[in-house]
Amino acid sequence: MKKIPLFLPFLFLTALSSAAKPPAVLPPLTGFTAADMPGDAGGAALLRWDSPGSAAAGAVIEVYVSDPAKPAWVKLADFKAEAKSESDFNRPFWAWSPAAGRNAVRLDTSAVFGRLDKPQELDFKLRMVRGAASAETEPVRTVIKGNWFNAARLNNFLLMLAITIGFFWTVSHARRKGLFIRRIAGLDAIDEAIGRATEMGRPIFYSTGIGQMSLVPTIASTSILGEVARKVAQYDTQLKVPHFDPIVMTVCKEVVKQSYLEMERPDSYRDDINFFVSNDQFSYAASVDGMIHREKPAACFFIGHFMAESLLLAEVGATTGAIQIAGTEQESQLPFFFTSCDYTLIGEELYAAGAYLSKEPMLLSTLKVQDFGKAFVMVSVVAGSILLAAGAWFGWQPLIKVVEQLFKAY
Amino acid sequence: MEFLANIWQWFAGLFTVTPGWMIFGGWMAAGLTLCIYSFLYKDNPFFKVAEHLYLGAGMGWVFQVTFFQTWKPRVWDALMDGQFVVLIPTVLGLSLMTQFFPRISWISRYGFTFIMGYGAGLVIPLEITTNFLRQIGGTIAPFAGGAGFWAMVNGAIIAFGFICVLFYFFFSVEQKGVVKKASNIGIYFLMLYFGAAFGNTVMGRFSLLYGRFDDLYKYSGSGYFYATHVVLGLLVAYFVLDKLVLSKKNGGQEPAH
Repeated sequence: MKKIPLFLPFLFLTALSSAAKPPAVLPPLTGFTAADMPGDAGGAALLRWDSPGSAAAGAVIEVYVSDPAKPAWVKLADFKAEAKSESDFNRPFWAWSPAAGRNAVRLDTSAVFGRLDKPQELDFKLRMVRGAASAETEPVRTVIKGNWFNAARLNNFLLMLAITIGFFWTVSHARRKGLFIRRIAGLDAIDEAIGRATEMGRPIFYSTGIGQMSLVPTIASTSILGEVARKVAQYDTQLKVPHFDPIVMTVCKEVVKQSYLEMERPDSYRDDINFFVSNDQFSYAASVDGMIHREKPAACFFIGHFMAESLLLAEVGATTGAIQIAGTEQESQLPFFFTSCDYTLIGEELYAAGAYLSKEPMLLSTLKVQDFGKAFVMVSVVAGSILLAAGAWFGWQPLIKVVEQLFKAY
Repeated sequence: MEFLANIWQWFAGLFTVTPGWMIFGGWMAAGLTLCIYSFLYKDNPFFKVAEHLYLGAGMGWVFQVTFFQTWKPRVWDALMDGQFVVLIPTVLGLSLMTQFFPRISWISRYGFTFIMGYGAGLVIPLEITTNFLRQIGGTIAPFAGGAGFWAMVNGAIIAFGFICVLFYFFFSVEQKGVVKKASNIGIYFLMLYFGAAFGNTVMGRFSLLYGRFDDLYKYSGSGYFYATHVVLGLLVAYFVLDKLVLSKKNGGQEPAH
């Protein structure tokens, strides 16, 4: 066997390492611009520069910011020099046109300057570093401010417009021709529950959950409460509505009072039908559990936004033998209502309840709009899946990008 | 002033964590846990005490959180900094208090109107983002091919289930024919999800139960003077006494409250 001289591998490795080494001098950073980040709430800047290319391999770009009023450069961010291509920028095609060979980065200045409520003039500069070598740009001054319109959310805005137009069209359609609504068992049972309570002479408990007034299920719940209160007023049954949120309570007071007035029973209305219990989730649950256990209502309604207290409430109601109707949009709580309640409204059924019970054309048309929305989602899923699969099969990357960006939330 | 400062210092010193306070805390924790659990047998005065204590403590906690995390930094500190614009939401918020005075309660409608309008404005774009864009984007994402063939098959099953579930929630279309069949398949998908969610949440609840049992075990030690055993013994003694003596007086009926 031939002996290989020891110095040969050493020479080979040395040659290899010197061949892989990038040039010692860094290329200059050119075409640097700084501007306000379009479509944001303020506090962010958009920096763009020419891509330094492979000559800057292994280098790091550091971004510095300074307030002209108190000049002092502060490092805001750093990243690899070959990263941040404009084509990878997180903006949709209708709000961003990437240029070839350009880099861009969105930089939030709140870490240095806190939340900026007013337009702020700031200086920016870039510094590229690799070992001892470095290259720096001239500082560029810009004013960053909040914007009224975010073009990246144009898809969201157009959808909202389409829904609004669809709503007005269906309202006029519903008034002229009326709309069909399929049967919802949980809502048909409301009459049964109130009738049972009337016969037994026991109260009805109605909980709107622990949601705030801005939540859609809470709004839906107040609408159902109005219908329940109308029937309660008609049959002169006792209604109790314990509350978690004082604002929801005040709204519900008005709703119940209006229902009693509409049924011409203002004499039966009492201010303590709605009462505040607690703003703490489990204190509320413990207290309502105690009331249900002691007063043994004939019917319990748990309709609105519920979290971990759902089973605590429904389980105690079930042990008292009350007929229970529940409804929530919280899918994690629905199984508990299924196991402990007689009827459960699943998500969308809850939103349909107000329209279903009142049969008002305005509310019925909202159901129709919701159905249009669902049809739109179904068609979009089918069409989007086919287009994406075709793009993946034939390797059409631009098609994939366009479809993905159309259905992306920014 | 010095006298008041001394009193405050003495009062604050009472709440310095000492071994005695730790034992007291252990008794409170074990006692209140068992009082709440006693509801599993039946309603009783111990549960009522714990219930009302919980209610009061909960409200006290919420009050201090609102006071120190909302009112002080958002209203008081802002006003002290000269940001008088915070007076607008503050006045709108205070207008809700007029509900207590029937003659001027109409003022509260301004506050409520703002809350409702603000809530709707906040929710509508968010709902479109969540229920439309993210839902569609998430469902079709596996078809882009980046994750491989089996991810696409998985995605196809999910997309099929998703469309069938949507059929179930069509309210303005009569459920018959193809719609009925798709809707029935959708119910199976829903039940699969609910079963999984139920199991997952029950496991979470069990972990909470283990935590309470772990604490009860800890407080049953000699370091806490057998707090768990003593409280449990007292509760059992009460229920036995209640069964033998008190219930007979009420004719075996649980008192109405």
